[in-house]
Amino acid sequence: MRMLALLLALLPATPVLAQSAHADLTCRFTGTDFVYDCVVRLTRGGQPVSGAQVVVGADMPSMPMAHNLAPVKAKPGRQPGEYHARLDLEMTGEWAVKLRLSGPLRDLLVLHYEFDERGARPVPPRSRTGR
Amino acid sequence: MDDFTLGVLTNIGLFSFLALSAYLLLLAGEMSFGQQAFFGVGAYSGGVLTALYGVPLPLAGLAAMLLGALAALLVGLPTLRLRGLYFAMATLAAAEVARLLFELFRFQREIDGELTGPDGTQGFRGIRWIFEHGVEPAEFLLLVYGLLALALAALMIVERSRLGTVLRSVGEDPGLAASLGVDVNRFKLGVAACAGALAALGGVLFAHHNSYIEPRNFDIMLGVHSLAYALIGGLGTALGPLLGVTLDIGLLESSRVFGGTRMIVFGGLVAVLLIVRPRGLLDEQLVHRIVRHSFKRP
Repeated sequence: MRMLALLLALLPATPVLAQSAHADLTCRFTGTDFVYDCVVRLTRGGQPVSGAQVVVGADMPSMPMAHNLAPVKAKPGRQPGEYHARLDLEMTGEWAVKLRLSGPLRDLLVLHYEFDERGARPVPPRSRTGR
Repeated sequence: MDDFTLGVLTNIGLFSFLALSAYLLLLAGEMSFGQQAFFGVGAYSGGVLTALYGVPLPLAGLAAMLLGALAALLVGLPTLRLRGLYFAMATLAAAEVARLLFELFRFQREIDGELTGPDGTQGFRGIRWIFEHGVEPAEFLLLVYGLLALALAALMIVERSRLGTVLRSVGEDPGLAASLGVDVNRFKLGVAACAGALAALGGVLFAHHNSYIEPRNFDIMLGVHSLAYALIGGLGTALGPLLGVTLDIGLLESSRVFGGTRMIVFGGLVAVLLIVRPRGLLDEQLVHRIVRHSFKRP
C-alpha cells in the first residue's frame, strides 16, 4: 500500500533540482600497491560546492560485478569544493569512479579514470570501446 | 541504515528482477544466456524517456516493460524453435548483438545546456530523475522491493494455478504437453515476453539508481550471473532466484576480507554449493517437503 502511494506520488512529481553538479578528480599513487590519494573538485554552475557529503565508490567497467570498491567517505579539503579520499583499488586499469553526493545537493556522478603507477587520468573518449 | 547497506540492498532488489526473468524461462525448459539484453533495453528506453522527454518514472517503467516484451518476442520468434544448448547459444548471440547495438546507439538532446542521451560506447549520463525529484535512497529501495513483491506475488499465484502446471509441464516434457493440446511454441513466446518485461523493469530501475549506463553493463557476465542466481537459489519456487541473488551479492560483498583473491574464493564457494545442492538450495524436493510439513494435519 505504501509502495502504491509512493508510485502515485511520483507520477506528477515536479523537478526540485535542475542544474547538475560537475566533478573532476586528481589522484596520486601512494607507493603502496593500488592505493591512491584522490582530491575531488566539485562545482555547480561554475561555483565550488562546499558542505556536501561525498561518498566515493568505484567499479571496473570491463569486469562488471567482479571488481568494485567499498564506498569511502571523502573528507572536506582546505579549498572550497575540495574533498579528499583514499582509494584502495584491486588493480590498475580503467575504473568508473562513482561520487554519491548528499547534503546541499543530491546526485550521482560517474567519472572514468585510468589508474596506474603515475596516478590517474581521465579515459580518452575514443579508447572506451566495448572490448 | 547507511548508504552502503542501502546500495547493496537496492542492488539485490534490482538484480532479482533479472533472476526472476531467467527463472521464468528455466521453468519453461529454456536456458537463456541473453536476459541482460532486455535489462539493457529497459535501462536505455526508460532513461531516454525520463532524461530526454521528462516522462514520469512510473510511465517510463511501463513503456520500458512493453519494449522489453516486444524485444523478447523479436528474439523469441526465431530462437524458440531451437532446443537446449542451441537455444542458449542463440540467446547469447542475440544479447551480444543487442550490446553492440547499444554501442552504436547515439541519440542526444540538449538538456539544461548539456548534451544528454545515449552516446555509443561513451555511455548514457544524466539519468537523474530520482535526484531531480527528491526521491530518497530509502524511498527508492521501498519502490524497488514493492515492485519486486508484486512481481513475486504474481509469479507465485501463476505457479499455483493451472497456468503454472502447464508452464512446468511444457518445461518438463514439451512433447507430452503438446499432445495434451498445449500450443507449446506460442506458450513459450508468451513466457519469453513476460520474462523480457520483467528484465526490462529491472533495467529501468537500475538505470535510475545508477544515473549512468553503458553497453558494458549489459555484457555476458550479467547473463551468466542471472542464470546462476536461479541455479544457486533453486528452481523449486520463485523465492529461489531471490535467495540466489542475495547469496551471490552477499557472498561477493562479505568476501572483501580476502582482498584481490576474493573472486577465487567466491567462485569456490559457488562450486561447493552446486556440488552439495545440484538443483539449488530451494530445489523441488525441499519445497515439496516444506509445503507437506507446513500443511500436515495434527
